[in-house]
Amino acid sequence: MTAIERRTGPARRLEWQRAKVRQVVVETSRVKSLLLQINGWQGHLPGQHVDIRLTAKDGYQAQRSYSIASPPEDEIVTLTVERVENGEVSPYLVEELRCGDQFELRGPIGGYFVWAIAIGGPLCLISAGSRIAPIMAMLRHRDKRNSRVPAVLLYSSRRLEDVIYRKELDAMARGDSDLRVVGTLTRIQPEGWAGYRRRIDKPMLADACFPLDRNPRIYVCGPTSFVEDVSSFLIDLGHDARTIKTERFGPTGG
Amino acid sequence: MDVPPISRGFSSRRREQGLADRIPPGQFVTTDFPVLSAGPTPQINLEEWTFALQLNGWVLGEWKWAEFQGLPQTTIKTDIHCVTKWSKLDTIWQGVSFDDLLKAVDLGEAPFPYIMAHCDGGYTTNLPVADLIGGKGMIATRYDGSLIPPAHGGPARLLVPHLYFWKSAKWVRRLRFMEEDERGFWESLGYHNHGDPWKEQRYDGD
Amino acid sequence: MPENDLDFVLDGNAAAGALQEIFVADVTTALIQCDACGSVGALGSLPFYAARMGVVLRCTDCAAILLRAVRTPHGRWLEMRGAHCLRFALA
Repeated sequence: MTAIERRTGPARRLEWQRAKVRQVVVETSRVKSLLLQINGWQGHLPGQHVDIRLTAKDGYQAQRSYSIASPPEDEIVTLTVERVENGEVSPYLVEELRCGDQFELRGPIGGYFVWAIAIGGPLCLISAGSRIAPIMAMLRHRDKRNSRVPAVLLYSSRRLEDVIYRKELDAMARGDSDLRVVGTLTRIQPEGWAGYRRRIDKPMLADACFPLDRNPRIYVCGPTSFVEDVSSFLIDLGHDARTIKTERFGPTGG
Repeated sequence: MDVPPISRGFSSRRREQGLADRIPPGQFVTTDFPVLSAGPTPQINLEEWTFALQLNGWVLGEWKWAEFQGLPQTTIKTDIHCVTKWSKLDTIWQGVSFDDLLKAVDLGEAPFPYIMAHCDGGYTTNLPVADLIGGKGMIATRYDGSLIPPAHGGPARLLVPHLYFWKSAKWVRRLRFMEEDERGFWESLGYHNHGDPWKEQRYDGD
Repeated sequence: MPENDLDFVLDGNAAAGALQEIFVADVTTALIQCDACGSVGALGSLPFYAARMGVVLRCTDCAAILLRAVRTPHGRWLEMRGAHCLRFALA
């Protein structure tokens, strides 16, 4: 059975499980990916997230949600975390956590913001900053399954150094004529930057996204204000609201 | 029930030493001022803003913004405690005390023993008048010397710092006297009716 | 600091874990109809407020409250007066 087939079993209560850190990967100066082993993990659909819970010695607990960045084809579950200034949980996960450490985790959660190749396309993915994780799970899944579903990723970042998975995305796009990866850098653009140079707006979406007659499935994730702006633009361009799925992240992962 | 595993090296950023007598049980000190709202921040026009004391169908007193600023002002420095476990110390607020509101409508004492606070956006919270008089409650319009930002409840919020902060209702517009107690927004959904942090009255049944 | 007050609002996706403690099945894909204005949408797409105290889901169009949920040590509370109905797809 593949991970996806396992996932469509009967509904059950979410239980807290133990996740063990197998590897930590530095993505950018503020972002790391945590590769986790979770015994009894039942698989997930690209786009789903997990809740994690940390418990301090004095009993204090903090809980946060993180999207799963890895595809269901991987045994290891990957979370990509951005260290937030004055955050409580993300600095711990990014600066302190080591291989072999454990924390509690429950999931996978959420059936709304989900894409798998069975859903089809064409696929239009739009993300801001480090909120690209669930979308990366979708692209990695598409890649692992050698899917020909036409897809475009439009990502927005402040600077090139902040773009997560950049090399992996470039490599994916190079090897795949059905995938376009388009970026916009909103603050600083390096010499020779061929992408966009401004915040996402209607003309950019009209250019980048599949036209209406292709009836694309659209996924947008990022901070709430970003998601709401992009969704309004898409609707103004004529896309049906039902074809647009959104995931709003808070200002702090925490 | 399983004991959750301790996360090696994780501690709350919020701990401070030597303040045990100021921090209610289960609380952790923060230097942030977290925002928590049950709905969108209302966009309030000060030209149209009014605040009222109400008794059944009667308006006992109603003030426009400039009039409200003309009422006696009180400034306090106090600690605030949120039921989500953060406490913030030495916060400074300015506004009109409940005692001064009663005086402004020529009442020596409250006509009924309970209050429901009604706010822009529909939020409500209930309190015994006993928790408002004697300087215990005010309608605050300034935080830390400046007008309260909208996300924190501006232009005016109820401030009742000796109770959990959900009772300090943001965007308050009227206080309605009630003969019998009725439960407000959170109190009717599992939170404690009174909410004393020193007795750790977080939830109904505590 | 967030650039925008709006960024404190999440969506029903983020409430999924808390709601799954009550509903068992994932409720974020269910369609929910607002009793006040009739608008219909997936629960996962609704604006989600008050995250640390509980779940408050509001209508995307008219901001009426569609669902409130609180988990306490003494039980779980759920109130859905503002929702006309929920519609779940067959599994």
